[in-house]
Amino acid sequence: MFWNKRIQKIRHEKKNGNELFQKNEDLSLESLKAMISNMDDGESIEHSISRNRKITIVYIKTLIDLERLNESIIQPVKNCSEEMIHTCLSSEKIVAVTTLDNAQKLMMQGHVLIYDDKGHLWAVPLENPLARSVEESQSETILYGPKDSFTEQIDQNITLLRRRLPLTELKTEKFSAGYLTKTKVVMLYVEGIANPDIVDIARKKISKINFDMIIEQSNLAAFMEDHIHSVFPQFQQTDRPDQCAYSLGLGKIVILVANTPFALIAPITFFHLFQSPEDYIHRWIVASFLRSLRYVSYMVSILLIPLYVALTTHHYHIIPLQILFVLLESRSKLPFSPFWEGLLMLFVLEIIKEASLRMPNKTSTTLGTIAGIVIGQAAVEAGFVSKILIVLVGVAAVASFLVPNYLLSKTNTLIQFAYLILASFLGIPGIVLGLIHMLAHLNGLTSLKQPYFSPIAPLYWRDWMDFFFRAPIPWMKKRPKQADALFKWRYNRGDG
Amino acid sequence: MRSPIFTVLLIGCICFLTGFSPFSDQNTVEEIAPVTFLAVKQGEEKGSLTVATLVPPIMNEEKQFFSTKVRLLEQGRRQFNFKYYREIRFGQLRMLFIDEQIAKTGIVNLMDTLLTDPEVSPRLFLIVFKGDFEAYTKNQMQKQKDLDYYLYRMFKHYEKENQGEIAVTNIHEFMEKTHTPYSDPYMPVFNVDKNCFSYEGTGFFSNGKLKGQTDKEQDQFFLLLSKSKFLKNVIIEPLDLSLGEVHAIVKKQVNLKDHTVVLKIQYRGRIDEYRGSKDLNSQADFYELTDEIKDYLEEGTVSLLKTFQELGVDPLEIGRQTLTPVSKSMSAEDWLTFWKSAKIKVDCSIELEPLTI
Amino acid sequence: MGDYKLFDKTAEFGNGFIIAFVHQSQLLYFVLFLPKMLQQSYLLFGILAVGILSQINLFILSKSMSYMDSKQGYNGFAKLFGHRNLRIIAFAGIAVILIKLCFIVLGYAEIVHQFIFPSMQPSWLFLFIMLICTYIASQGMEKTLRFGIIAFFCTFWMILLYIPYFVPPGADVLDLYPLIPAGRDEHPWKGMLMIWSSLSGPEYIILALPWINPKQKALTYLSIANGISVFLYIVLFMACLFFFGTPYLGKISYPVLNMIRYLQTPVFERIEIVMISMQMFQYVFLASFLLLSLYGAIRISACSVHKETGRKGLYGVSFFVLVCLFLIDQFFGRQGKELNGWTNLQLWSGTLTYLLIPSLLLVANIRRRRRSSH
Repeated sequence: MFWNKRIQKIRHEKKNGNELFQKNEDLSLESLKAMISNMDDGESIEHSISRNRKITIVYIKTLIDLERLNESIIQPVKNCSEEMIHTCLSSEKIVAVTTLDNAQKLMMQGHVLIYDDKGHLWAVPLENPLARSVEESQSETILYGPKDSFTEQIDQNITLLRRRLPLTELKTEKFSAGYLTKTKVVMLYVEGIANPDIVDIARKKISKINFDMIIEQSNLAAFMEDHIHSVFPQFQQTDRPDQCAYSLGLGKIVILVANTPFALIAPITFFHLFQSPEDYIHRWIVASFLRSLRYVSYMVSILLIPLYVALTTHHYHIIPLQILFVLLESRSKLPFSPFWEGLLMLFVLEIIKEASLRMPNKTSTTLGTIAGIVIGQAAVEAGFVSKILIVLVGVAAVASFLVPNYLLSKTNTLIQFAYLILASFLGIPGIVLGLIHMLAHLNGLTSLKQPYFSPIAPLYWRDWMDFFFRAPIPWMKKRPKQADALFKWRYNRGDG
Repeated sequence: MRSPIFTVLLIGCICFLTGFSPFSDQNTVEEIAPVTFLAVKQGEEKGSLTVATLVPPIMNEEKQFFSTKVRLLEQGRRQFNFKYYREIRFGQLRMLFIDEQIAKTGIVNLMDTLLTDPEVSPRLFLIVFKGDFEAYTKNQMQKQKDLDYYLYRMFKHYEKENQGEIAVTNIHEFMEKTHTPYSDPYMPVFNVDKNCFSYEGTGFFSNGKLKGQTDKEQDQFFLLLSKSKFLKNVIIEPLDLSLGEVHAIVKKQVNLKDHTVVLKIQYRGRIDEYRGSKDLNSQADFYELTDEIKDYLEEGTVSLLKTFQELGVDPLEIGRQTLTPVSKSMSAEDWLTFWKSAKIKVDCSIELEPLTI
Repeated sequence: MGDYKLFDKTAEFGNGFIIAFVHQSQLLYFVLFLPKMLQQSYLLFGILAVGILSQINLFILSKSMSYMDSKQGYNGFAKLFGHRNLRIIAFAGIAVILIKLCFIVLGYAEIVHQFIFPSMQPSWLFLFIMLICTYIASQGMEKTLRFGIIAFFCTFWMILLYIPYFVPPGADVLDLYPLIPAGRDEHPWKGMLMIWSSLSGPEYIILALPWINPKQKALTYLSIANGISVFLYIVLFMACLFFFGTPYLGKISYPVLNMIRYLQTPVFERIEIVMISMQMFQYVFLASFLLLSLYGAIRISACSVHKETGRKGLYGVSFFVLVCLFLIDQFFGRQGKELNGWTNLQLWSGTLTYLLIPSLLLVANIRRRRRSSH
């Protein structure tokens, strides 16, 4: 069919792409120089050293540490009288390179290539660690808790995790994804706790990736997800090392991607998207309340406007008389039907939300004020929308901010639109139809082949300790069944 | 693989957006006028009705009073629709005012009509009225815009909080009692004329027909014995006395062998107001007064029950006491003949809370 | 499309789904007008008695299930009955399942038509329900069964709605008297039959046999579910008796729904609309399960079990069911009262399947054991 043809075509191109970057030439000074031709930051320096020998140093100056270049390479090499130059260098990680392809790869990873007149090529790592310092998380702030967050430096991120879990069982498997970006991907898991089957699934999925660019964690997730057509994220994305360490300890897998401060956690359930690290900091009763508030407000945020439409178009007799009077009064002179009114408001609201995101900070406050006036007063006074809808839209919008997961809260408007159509079509039964569809869909999803709707379907009573409510931490004696950990007890049983 | 789902969705969206809908009617709120009450009156011809209501329900619009002569209730709705620019709907119908004349000829049919309409809630208050409802509404709606709403709030208040004062009843209770052999329904009766809408007492029904009603004095006793078993105030005029916060604990017994009905009632309350000649600080006077109150309550209760016997109704559900887990129950007719001729024994006791000033 | 399988098993199931499935299957359309059929209060004991009978039946069912090797699925049955017999049984099963499936959808559509959208054509609802059922069923048997748990949680809370009916003064124990029948009743057997038929449904769990963990104590869960159902029936019946009283109850066609209409909350005044809508979870779940079963039965009787399952087949089956629904609605229609011939057909078929399947299965298993031991 049409689809199949397209897929074949893409595969064909991929093959070409791989070949495109294969260098089959022989290793020579000319080929090395050709490699950096037309590269402003590519430099090659020739040095004469003792015994009348000449060496050529080739590097990309933007990738290496220029300050260290002189002291750790040029100076030792200049004074070198040995036959093999690399013995003069103090760095232990010197690689002897034999192919041009390899030379190119290493140079682009921040190595300095040293080519001597006898045809030997060595690569010395001299990477410039372009890193920012560890800062506080911007996307998930908590008040009482660790303040560090991941950075773009993957090794630094691993350090942050290793400090929290000083175990030799914390395994880090390295992969490279994307033939253009050659992104370093590291999969972490605790051996002995994490289920090897799940680790295996993840391993296979990462190594199967055949694509040109993996820029950040979402690109990777897109290739690893079981259901790409779903609006719901099947991986948790976080920049908090504490959350990653906690998940690792429960038997989950954490995947770090180079050059992005976010990690992927899997397998997760739908309900993990409603959990925040703060839940474990509050008293358990408060935490339980806050967590259930999040679920409620999520339902409110997707159902409130559709319910308004359903009630005003089909079920006027459900509404208490007092409210009905207010509704009748505010709706009696409106030009649009409830459905179009709701659609319009949601649309405008989404535009404003999106605009305020893209704006620089200073303008977004102005935007907020203008939007507030436009939506809040002018629309009502102009007779476009009813006052009640304004209130409901406001409540729904605020409620949607309670969902800690940004990717999930962004799906809200889309779901709302779907419900809106159903509600205006079939009223409350229509909304329930939508709910059935949504729950059936969630029920069908998997995250690394583990059920996504798990503590409910399939029913894992054990996991209900940390679900709608968060039980006191000492009560959570077992690891959640959802991650299917090998070792289910959380306290140390052997030592008594 | 996905294409069938997308096709269905696409067709669905197209259908929807082009206004194609499975409904023949929609209830968009701004296009309908949900009325809150209906007043039904006997028409001039036999079997015909006069149905009246007030539209619109919106507060800031000019109210209009509609009244039409019809044979069927639903016909009334159609007639109203012809006159009004919004469609009249019964989904928020909260009160049904029934004229005394119709109530006397039987209203079960009317109730059935309303109950079969899925829009009408079974929580529909039933009220019997005497007099000219039309004149009252027309006069009152000039002064008070949300007349119907306030009436509804009144009934809701007396229903929900179990306030005593008025024995409110709704359509479900009415129908249940009509069909249950040992109980008969009742309704509040209001007197209506141009300027006032005042509570008169409770009307008693049997087989769906209004049999009679209590006067204001008797009504106090009925309210104390019926569902709420509570009254804010019991006014005892002969003794120049008002009792406040009166609660009653009622025990009913039916003695088939002795052919008697025994009611044991324990009252509890306090003296609200006293303008008689006795000195309440004196113990002897206080006891005397208590005895007088007791006698008064007993007499009143007996007279109330006698009225029920005469009318052949049993709104207090005394007949249910004959039911036992094992034996076969009496038929409704048997009970009625028994009740009409039964001897009545009422045994009151009253507990007065000490007077404090 | 190669890895698209409707009947495969991937993950381990919790215990919940047996309870959810059995409980949901026992609370069908009947629950809504059952109290009317019972009417007399002494039939409270009737419910209890039939509940115990049903428990015995479930015992037989679990016994015969324990003889089966749950991993074999179709082959297990084929060994038990022989391929040809199994095909005949499956062919009979098509009719029974189709009746039940149509009955559920028609019944639910009828309720929605009566109480929520009097002006809507019920056939629209058939379409919507079948669409959503096909969606759920197309996810495969495993996920459909799992959806049962969601349906259970979405509908079970409704039992709380009946609490107000048990609060005096509305509830009076005198409403329940006489508890022992004094005279001869006209048709007490019909009420009992109705209860039995209402409690039928768990027999379909043998179709989900491969998904039952052999280590699980299936009987425990079956019993819990049966207990919950019987409890719910008693609660409902008592609530109806309190609310309507015996004589009036006989005149109400959907007593439970009419009872719910009376409830009010400060936010929603007419809960029945929300309740009826939420009830859809249950009907949709069972309908999609039956849809898959129907598809399976057709495959067995068409001798194409070992071919790959495809979405197209399932879509075909659900289209066929949709056509059946339209036809039944056209010809049997809603002639007057709700208990017409169509309902009676379901009454009897439910009764018979629940009565016969567990025992037949047990007998077949015992016979096979004897044969193999000789």
